[in-house]
Amino acid sequence: MDISILSPAANQVDFKITPAPRLGSLDNKTIGLYNNMTGGADIAVNRVAHHLKERFTNINFVSYGGDLVPDRPSLSRQVHIDDEEAAIIATEVDAVIGATAH
Amino acid sequence: MVTLEKAGVPAIGIAAKSFEKAWQSCVAGWGQPYTGYVIIPHATTGQQQDFIHNMVDGQIDSIIENLTTFTNSNEYTSKSKSQVEQYTVQLSNSPNGLNAINSFLEERDWTDGLPVIPPTPEAVEQMLKGTTRAPQDIVMIMEPGFGIATVEKVAINAVMAGCQPEQFPVVLATLDCLSKPEMNHRDMQVSGHTEAPLILVNGPLAKHAGINHGTSAMGPGVVNKANTAIGRALRLCLINIGYCKAGSGDPNFIGLPTKFGMCISENEEDSPWDPYHVDLGYDKNQSTVTVITVTGPADILDPGSKTYIDTLHNIKSMMSYPNAGNGDWIRGQKTAQVGNTNQHIPYQGPYHPVLLSPSRAVVLSEAGYSKKNVQEWLHENTQVALSDIQSKRPIPVDERGNWLSHPDLQHLESTAGATIPALQTPEQYLLYITGGTTHYGHFFYGTYGIGTSLVEDINF
Repeated sequence: MDISILSPAANQVDFKITPAPRLGSLDNKTIGLYNNMTGGADIAVNRVAHHLKERFTNINFVSYGGDLVPDRPSLSRQVHIDDEEAAIIATEVDAVIGATAH
Repeated sequence: MVTLEKAGVPAIGIAAKSFEKAWQSCVAGWGQPYTGYVIIPHATTGQQQDFIHNMVDGQIDSIIENLTTFTNSNEYTSKSKSQVEQYTVQLSNSPNGLNAINSFLEERDWTDGLPVIPPTPEAVEQMLKGTTRAPQDIVMIMEPGFGIATVEKVAINAVMAGCQPEQFPVVLATLDCLSKPEMNHRDMQVSGHTEAPLILVNGPLAKHAGINHGTSAMGPGVVNKANTAIGRALRLCLINIGYCKAGSGDPNFIGLPTKFGMCISENEEDSPWDPYHVDLGYDKNQSTVTVITVTGPADILDPGSKTYIDTLHNIKSMMSYPNAGNGDWIRGQKTAQVGNTNQHIPYQGPYHPVLLSPSRAVVLSEAGYSKKNVQEWLHENTQVALSDIQSKRPIPVDERGNWLSHPDLQHLESTAGATIPALQTPEQYLLYITGGTTHYGHFFYGTYGIGTSLVEDINF
């Protein structure tokens, strides 16, 4: 016997984001280090920075992540970076390395 | 990370092995399935510095490669824009043939792992008679997959869960709750720690829907079939509409049995106090659904209490767990991002549901305590040391060292042994009277937000 059933799976909003162009090299670049203040995430991104400093010339770092940064709500704990915040970050750094504790 | 890529900033994340599928699921939901990541063997929380360094050291080349040269090395199946809506499955008399529909659904990861009722067009049409909303009306956009929750999709999942049409308005109201930004359903879905939605139903439609509020109402049994079906319907929606699938969209480290579904109504007949929805300002004859994200429960064992004070102390004792959000309010209000927008909504939390048996409420009521009095007692007597809060993480300050939130309380820093209430307001102890009239209760630790919505009143 054939029986028809309906799909329980929903259609999804299709945002289709294009990947950012890559940098070619990290020489003379500023890299954002993002952690969401869960345990050890800061240690992880800072370790990456330590290695990158040894491999690239004139590389700089900006740390993101923390509690209730004034006027920067998206950098607060457990809050996603929204478009407005991303636009600001784009003026401050060339790339971002992020970590949560997970 | 996807938002950064959208802004033109190359981004890469460091994720623990058990979060790999969760990463893939989330970035796909946000529209950029190739967002880069590297994998480390364990979560970093609580690990010593050298251990974290060792985990990260082997990933440096991959991080550099991703930021300098784009590859699709993280490629995996991306979401399809549109799903096929109807399938035909062949049944037969053999054991496998009888189970063919469940097998079909399981192959597509469309169940909670238990057998379901086949969502035939006829069964779904019958379910839709439980609402006046049109089948293609959108109830919400459900994260992390940004699934479009039409009334019809909710009905399909409600059929699968075993709901009846008279229960469908309650199911829809649970999604109405989740649609409220202050509910912060995203974090409920994707958080790594174990939590589940608790559904509380109030008003006359709870009885009409057949929801048990008496003995063993959160347990198994035919008498609880409405409770079970409604709770399960929400879970199936979270799986199939929100794409919160075990191990990917849902990265709980071990999960919770309560995630299969929790729904209960208030024992309004035996409670000495007004029902919860009346506390919120609704009329007693209206019906509401409240959804809260919780972990637990833990049993409140109260057989040894001699007085109401013993009972109050027993409830208070459940707040001993230091990581239950105690005192976090001093750091400022949490915020939830509204979907994929730049809007952030502040919300209060956590709310800790205290499910008391009617007899415990009567003990307190006979002692002259209103529900509000009990909440105020718990608020006043459940304190946490300020030094303990600060030892976990500094309280945020401005450039002059002033607290950004609650500056009026900063003077407590100079007071030895200063304490603050564990929760910001008395109402966050959500007292709800339910179950059989015994000497027990349930205590749930709330985690994220809370939402309440009216239930549509359908004349069947």
